[in-house]
Amino acid sequence: MEEESDSRKINNSFLRDHNYATEADIISTVEFNSTGELLATGDKGGRVVVFQREQESKNQPHRRGEYNVYSTFQSHEPEFDYLKSLEIEEKINKIRWLPQQNAAYFLLSTNDKTVKLWKISERDKRPEGYNLKDEDGRIRDPSTITSLRVPVLQPMDLMVEAMPRRVFSNAHTYHINSISVNSDYETFMSTDDLRINLWNLEITNRSFNIVDIKPANMEELTEVITAAEFHPHQCNTFVYSSSKGSIRLCDMRASALCDNHSKFFEEPEDPSNRSFFSEIISSISDVKFSHSGRYLMTRDYLTVKVWDLNMESKPLETYQVHDYLRSKLCSLYENDCIFDKFECVWNGSDSVIMTGSYNNFFRMFDRNTKRDVTLEASRENSKPRAILKPRKVCVGGKRRKDEISVDSLDFSKKILHTAWHPYENIIAVAATNNLYIFQDKVN
Amino acid sequence: MEYKVEAHRIMSISLGKIYNSRIQRGGIKLHKNLLVSLVLRSARQVYLSDYYSGACLNAQGEREGNEWDIMDSEREKFPPSTTECESPEEPQPNKQPEASEKEREYRENDDEVKSNQADCTSTLQQEQNQNSSLESVGSISSETPPETINEPKESPSDTTVAERQSESTPVENGESHQPPKTHVCSNRKRSAEESEKDDSPLKRTKVASSKATEDEEGEEMDTSNVSNLITIFGSSFSGLLSKDSAKPEAEAEESGQICCDQMLKNLNPWSTAIVAF
Repeated sequence: MEEESDSRKINNSFLRDHNYATEADIISTVEFNSTGELLATGDKGGRVVVFQREQESKNQPHRRGEYNVYSTFQSHEPEFDYLKSLEIEEKINKIRWLPQQNAAYFLLSTNDKTVKLWKISERDKRPEGYNLKDEDGRIRDPSTITSLRVPVLQPMDLMVEAMPRRVFSNAHTYHINSISVNSDYETFMSTDDLRINLWNLEITNRSFNIVDIKPANMEELTEVITAAEFHPHQCNTFVYSSSKGSIRLCDMRASALCDNHSKFFEEPEDPSNRSFFSEIISSISDVKFSHSGRYLMTRDYLTVKVWDLNMESKPLETYQVHDYLRSKLCSLYENDCIFDKFECVWNGSDSVIMTGSYNNFFRMFDRNTKRDVTLEASRENSKPRAILKPRKVCVGGKRRKDEISVDSLDFSKKILHTAWHPYENIIAVAATNNLYIFQDKVN
Repeated sequence: MEYKVEAHRIMSISLGKIYNSRIQRGGIKLHKNLLVSLVLRSARQVYLSDYYSGACLNAQGEREGNEWDIMDSEREKFPPSTTECESPEEPQPNKQPEASEKEREYRENDDEVKSNQADCTSTLQQEQNQNSSLESVGSISSETPPETINEPKESPSDTTVAERQSESTPVENGESHQPPKTHVCSNRKRSAEESEKDDSPLKRTKVASSKATEDEEGEEMDTSNVSNLITIFGSSFSGLLSKDSAKPEAEAEESGQICCDQMLKNLNPWSTAIVAF
């Protein structure tokens, strides 16, 4: 990818920018829709903000399709489970877009317990000239009506409204960590720590359990499900990752309950790297199919791995994201950073993969050239429209100018969520409560 | 030696995390607690094994599981009260997957506890707490539900339990076993590396006595805080446990020698608290 080798990206805009960091504004998920026209973000306060790309205009060629706020709505509210005396967080864990079938846009958003289907539609006309009510909406006295007229649609200012169309609830005992829309566009699955449920988009009062790894005796629990995704083309295939670092591929045609996997991907642990925290750092935080459906990508704490679906014994490629943290695992355990769940994304052509790190750094790996780059998403270090400068972390010894030492990294600034436009080289990077959008340099 | 300190520190940090997870918003996160419990187990394993290798006295080191079994059964024959703190030679079988072992271990733990009660000097208790309790628990628990093992150790008094809870320093009095450890795959790995002998309580005792002085220093415990922690854990999780999973009460009942059934039942949830919700 040209831009990777040049490592040039334009810092396009700072959206959802806040100077103060309120916890409710922390972005918890970012997702482009299937055409890349829309970008949705969910935050800890249960809100969803959707951005839409401007149409490119010939008058302003340098403003190549910037993203502006399109719609904002409150998707989930905090709830209270009275039976267990537990509060259910309103934080949006995942957003997944449905493919567009008509003028409206549909997306699924989920918190820990409930999945909702939202319809986002535009309204730019409204009817005027009712018979039974006047322009203010007041009911007219029928006896005063002397003639009838046909209401006419008049243009109005564009209004974007979001309406909840379905609410899929009461199906999960544990916290939902992923949702995935099936390629049949009729079903989707929701995944919690121990179970995966299959839903029909039209039916909210029933779901089918397709994976259940809850042991009969909870004391024997050794692993939980951390993420799951449907295959992009085969509607019967899905994968789920576990906290033990393994991935299971299941075929729904095999049986109703997919507890038995069709394929099992796991790399044997390197005994020389064994430490107290080996289990934690091998827990997979994200799993993504490539667009082609041929490869799988998994993210654990220190690495990103690309797997070939046809080879279960070991990954095809392993990329070190921030191996310099390996000696700091104990401190990262103390400050809870070791539990951070980083996501990973493919670019449109599956040639580059991207994932986040600390200090507002994010990393890109070109699978073909084997080159990688570290970039930073921060306002101080880059101005809008400036080209991003590659960053480097120095591990030991002499620190060159412009390098940053491991001990100076700010672990409170973490990039967990990123998204890549399905066709173009546009990326969205969520840095705590700020969203950055970067584009390829316009030549 | 620094391993021991490090392992203890990690254990106390892990306990703090488990405790905090109960009060945080959004409910208990199963995944995080599972990982924390795994770390806890690993740390305890290392702590015990390290302790063991450091203190290993002769013969114990060479005995195999068989001997222990034999000794164990012998122990069972004799009432625990006869065992003194320093005397128990019964090595604790480390990893014996059979169910009967659970019982045995229970009894062993119980014995230890009783010996603690009976005769132990405070130092001895402290030492036991520090090292072995965690280790032995860890080793024992590798195959069996943690509760069984934990219970006896925690035993009789809240204060002792509380002491065990104390954060930084190794478990001080009593009962030692602090962190509820669920089934441990990682422990298994570790125990494979160390020998099974590592967990012999006898060794522990001996070592403890030799290290009495240094243990004592570390033992300042804020017992009141610890006891609060224990009771909080015990009482609040017991409800969850009884609702969610089968408590290992059966195991508790198997061993007639367990002195504090009530306490054990209360503490059972503690050990399984992490996963049972």
